[in-house]
Amino acid sequence: MQTWDDRQPIYQQLASILAAQLLDGEPVEGSAMPSVRALASRYLLNPLTVNRALQTLGDDGLLENRRGMGLYVTAGARERLRVAERNRFLQTEWPRLRERLRRLGISAQQLNWEEH
Amino acid sequence: MNAAEPNVLVRASHLSVRYGAKAAVDDVSFTIPKGRVVGLLGHNGAGKTTLMKAMVGLTQGEGELSVLGFQPRPQRAQLLEQACYIPDVAILPRWARVEDLILLMSGIHPRFSAERARSLLRRTSVGLRDKVKTLSKGMVVQAHLALVAAIDAKLMILDEPTLGLDVLSRKAFYELLIDEWCDGERSVLISTHQVEEIESLLSDVLMLNEGKLVLSISLEDMERRFVGVSHDAAVAEQIAAAHPLLRYRTGTGPSGNAAIFDGAPPEHVQALGQRMRPSLVDLFVALTRKPELDRTHF
Repeated sequence: MQTWDDRQPIYQQLASILAAQLLDGEPVEGSAMPSVRALASRYLLNPLTVNRALQTLGDDGLLENRRGMGLYVTAGARERLRVAERNRFLQTEWPRLRERLRRLGISAQQLNWEEH
Repeated sequence: MNAAEPNVLVRASHLSVRYGAKAAVDDVSFTIPKGRVVGLLGHNGAGKTTLMKAMVGLTQGEGELSVLGFQPRPQRAQLLEQACYIPDVAILPRWARVEDLILLMSGIHPRFSAERARSLLRRTSVGLRDKVKTLSKGMVVQAHLALVAAIDAKLMILDEPTLGLDVLSRKAFYELLIDEWCDGERSVLISTHQVEEIESLLSDVLMLNEGKLVLSISLEDMERRFVGVSHDAAVAEQIAAAHPLLRYRTGTGPSGNAAIFDGAPPEHVQALGQRMRPSLVDLFVALTRKPELDRTHF
């Protein structure tokens, strides 16, 4: 079963999971989100919790409500998420990573930028 | 249903159920609105089964109890047309085939839909021609849920439905329950000890300890009211001085210790650690532990 940590409310954790999936193009922009009940049953969550998570994604401009048809992924949702993720990496992850590279004495030239 | 409160399915007011001198349910008051998933939590002997029995008229209580607008004891027959109940001792006849049970239910229950039962069963691995005695424990419980969920009712009462099931069967049971029952109108009351895995399913919790209702709250309000603080062992004494509801070792967190407060503790106490979401199981331990147990043992 999906496990939820105790650092954040569950609806925020679900919102992060769904945002990560949107970033991977799932579902793709312009298509419908799964229904509240489908998500509730997939993640074994109370439907109210799912609603709050979807509300959060809606507030972030990633989902839009099409009257009578449910929630759809907005055009530009992936780019919006990518920008937010990039900012988060540069502001919080990169300083920590840089610090670790310095401590280990690894320079930019020593890093293999190609795969393999 | 009560015309004055169309959204309230169950209302208990100063309800007690006595067995001789002992009050198995002791002066409890609560309501269950529609569209909720309510967890009834308590240790063995806390009164969960007795409370559920009173709600379906199987035992007589004192005080007020209204379920779907009915008084459960005198109006039991009418009530059971509109409420579903799976008791903890539920069994299906071993010799019967699943399709026989559908036929049986069609004959005795006016709101039962054979069509819906068959469609619910298609979601499970239970076949219509299967005999109950050939089914695994998990499949029997799924079949039972499918039969009961095929009743057009507003309230489902489940007493320890997943007891003794393995993790996959429990997951399948909850999936069926959420997907096929919870539609925002119907409510379910479900008792269990498996607090960890049911927490995320619940909208509300009723917590019984030795017959008394020690907590009746929505999960949303619970997250607002109770504050968890994870902290290092070095500040344990300062945390204890602020009178938390419970202190315990987490084992997983970065700092290894945690405390739960009823209401936000003062700023300087919160600053000693990191705020965290108090889990239902921790709160359960805090509110139902036996007085003779030392609080730091957890």
